[in-house]
Amino acid sequence: MRKPVLLLLVFVLAGASALGLAACGNSSAKEGGTLTGSYASFPDYLDPGLSYTQEGWTAMYNTYLPLLTYAHANGTEGSEVVPALAESLPKISNGGKTYTLNLRKGLEYSDGTPVRASDFASSIERLFKLNSPGIQFYEGIVGAEKFAKTKTGGITGIKTNDRTGEIVIDLVSPRGTFSNELGLLFAALLPSDTPAKNLSANPPPATGPYMIVKSEPGRGWSYARNPAWTRTNGDLIPDLADGNFDKIEIKVVNNDSTQVNEIERNKTDWMQPPPPADLYAKVKDEYEGTQFRVEHLTNLYYFWMNTTVPPFDDLKVRQAVNYAVNTAALERIYAGSLTATHQILPEGMPGHEELDLYPHDMAKAKELLAQANPSDREITVWTLNESPNNEAGAYYQGVLEELGFDAKLKTINAEVYISLVGNVSTPDLDTGWINWYPDYPNPNSFFQLPLSGESIAPVYNTNLAQIDEPKLNAKIAKLGEEPLGPDQEAEYAELDKEYMEQAPWVPYGTNTVATFVDSDIDLDKVIFNPTFGHDLTSFEPK
Amino acid sequence: MASEPHAEVGPAGSSPWGLALRRLRRNRVALAFGVLFVLIVLFVLAAPLWANHVADTGPNQTHTLEKIEVDGEQREVVNIEGKPIGPVWLGADGKFFLGADGRLGRDEMVRLMYGGRASLFIGFAAALLTTVLATILALLAGYYRGWVDTVISRTLDVIWAFPVLLLGIGLGIALALGGLAIGPVEIPSGSIWITVLIIGGVLVPYMARPLRGAVLSLREKEFVEASVAQGAGPLRVMFSELLPNLSSTIIVFFTLGVANAMLFEAALSFLGVGVQPPDTSWGSMVGDGFDLISSAPLLTILPGTMIFLTVLAVNVFGDGLRDALDPHSKVLLEVHAGVAEPEGTAI
Repeated sequence: MRKPVLLLLVFVLAGASALGLAACGNSSAKEGGTLTGSYASFPDYLDPGLSYTQEGWTAMYNTYLPLLTYAHANGTEGSEVVPALAESLPKISNGGKTYTLNLRKGLEYSDGTPVRASDFASSIERLFKLNSPGIQFYEGIVGAEKFAKTKTGGITGIKTNDRTGEIVIDLVSPRGTFSNELGLLFAALLPSDTPAKNLSANPPPATGPYMIVKSEPGRGWSYARNPAWTRTNGDLIPDLADGNFDKIEIKVVNNDSTQVNEIERNKTDWMQPPPPADLYAKVKDEYEGTQFRVEHLTNLYYFWMNTTVPPFDDLKVRQAVNYAVNTAALERIYAGSLTATHQILPEGMPGHEELDLYPHDMAKAKELLAQANPSDREITVWTLNESPNNEAGAYYQGVLEELGFDAKLKTINAEVYISLVGNVSTPDLDTGWINWYPDYPNPNSFFQLPLSGESIAPVYNTNLAQIDEPKLNAKIAKLGEEPLGPDQEAEYAELDKEYMEQAPWVPYGTNTVATFVDSDIDLDKVIFNPTFGHDLTSFEPK
Repeated sequence: MASEPHAEVGPAGSSPWGLALRRLRRNRVALAFGVLFVLIVLFVLAAPLWANHVADTGPNQTHTLEKIEVDGEQREVVNIEGKPIGPVWLGADGKFFLGADGRLGRDEMVRLMYGGRASLFIGFAAALLTTVLATILALLAGYYRGWVDTVISRTLDVIWAFPVLLLGIGLGIALALGGLAIGPVEIPSGSIWITVLIIGGVLVPYMARPLRGAVLSLREKEFVEASVAQGAGPLRVMFSELLPNLSSTIIVFFTLGVANAMLFEAALSFLGVGVQPPDTSWGSMVGDGFDLISSAPLLTILPGTMIFLTVLAVNVFGDGLRDALDPHSKVLLEVHAGVAEPEGTAI
């Protein structure tokens, strides 16, 4: 009779253990385990040479390292440029036109091949072969423009020595923001034989703490510790963290309510982007301080107007639209996560001085429109299918209709939206929604790419308004050559006003971002870098 | 023709349609759902009346910052946290009767009515398109047989091989940007006709194949031989002899096709490739409401319920119609064509 009792005891104990394990929640969130995350959509690219969204940069911040990077820290500390693959910050000489760096010795890629100084040259050249949106940061290198046309012969302004590790970069003219630009993901070093094609499905070898081991575009991707980092790179770059998890798995979850639900039930450790508008207030009330934290950013949400086509080629029309849009309504659409603004430089960005040239006034808007009396009143309004930006687009379309335009809304999938509106040959590119996260914490980033006429490109165009004012272009270029100081900040404030007088955009707000993690993650340790977003090496289990 | 037992024979002089109507009137359940469907149609047709005279707003008009007086109290249509006002019923004289539809503050009742117009229009138009195309293809394939039948049937097989929803989504995405331009026919992107064409086209095999089978069967009947012997050409045989004998089947297929088309449209619009914003349909309203399902579940439940009730009404009425126009009536049609009167039931 004893045997059945013993057997029963074993079963009961086994069952209790199983129940205990099941009740532990996400058991992978422990040191050395697996960090799980969800994205609302697959990043534009998982290729450092092509990605131009914060989602993509967040995904690759700890995988691909440039010569310089941004300090893995919150807030303004995270704006500091620090050495990554380079031994130190660049030596700048020749009136600001020559940058000299030295590659740390002994670095390796995740596939074991050594990192060489000449890989920097080939990585920059790869950007031009890809017609990457990043080329605009490096066109100022001597020989870059010629290489952009011929794609052969190399960029003469980059001289490298694989034996000594020296990298010398000559610029056509001084560029005050070049150190910032060397810290961008576009400048990440890749093996020189990396093909010049989109590698999102098969990401190239890594130099950072993690490498991408699996990528299924549209579905998700996975990281593992980079053996090269463990073996050598980590010791050579001690200022960058190793990361607390052995693996990271990111899946695409299209439904943002499901993303929140999975965090609340501890099925996922972290979500990108922040909770959707309809759950934002509830999540904030319930979890702020324990699992939820608001991150203040210097970004800008706005509607661009194509200044090269009617009716937006008329200044009065653009100004009328600015008067017509009520930023207070848009604050509601973003459920309180948006701070209204009606200018280019957001609060917190050097050079910001409070400005509102077009306080909401529908009567004034209609009066201006009557004066302009545009003959072409058919407008296509572009927006993407992610909430609440799609609702912002719908609101904007309603405002244009109220003004008397025949406005048609075109809602495009978020994954292709930027490449579609960034292609100047896309038909009916009249006006639409966009947001701008500065490439680096320098006011020049709000002007050089999105507003300078020199930035207009046939594809991956960032100047969606296609505004081209030579005087203002020159001002941007001049300020871009100078290191940032009080005089420059005052000039940027003046530039903000001058552009708003031209009204190529209808800026409407600055969006906050939020960190929302499950209860297993130590929220206080999570780093949110203002340029790259969440630092996955900072996630740590409690 | 040999007499067939159990045929239902009505009073002398009754047409097949008269008999069918009498059978339908006896089917109380089908009639009840038919009435429900009519009520739904009247509901959506009343949209302009409600919008202009009660709600005082259009389906796409936003009211994000507005306040309304509800039972003497000022309330925000959308609060600062982006939560829309819920149903106020008659508290504001009919305005926002079912509340606001989301952060844009549009009147939910008005959008529900206008959305129903789009859903019903697409359902009917797509079903009509499917029926016309399927009937023509079935007649051609079934009458000519041979290589004509082979080409048509294999083409239908290719379309049938695609999962219907995926095919619809693919076409919807492809046509969403540039619209459709075939010869002189040009349909702009975002037009409701794009959705009609996609649904109408994709559902053709599902109707054409069974109709083709019916045509193949009818083609062997003596009345067709007789007609051919009298010198009738193919077109006359197809449209004057075969088509009338298929009419009851076609009518039933059409009504069931309306239900299928409405469900298909709801799925496409929910997925964002059907009716394009700011225009609305019940399917797109379900999709829009999904973003707010935690805080305002009615925004999804209401249009979903309308889809459910409409499709149920059409299906049940369609079933009743099929029972009323059942194969017995084929015998009577043959009688009408001059064949000997049967006794008893045909089948």
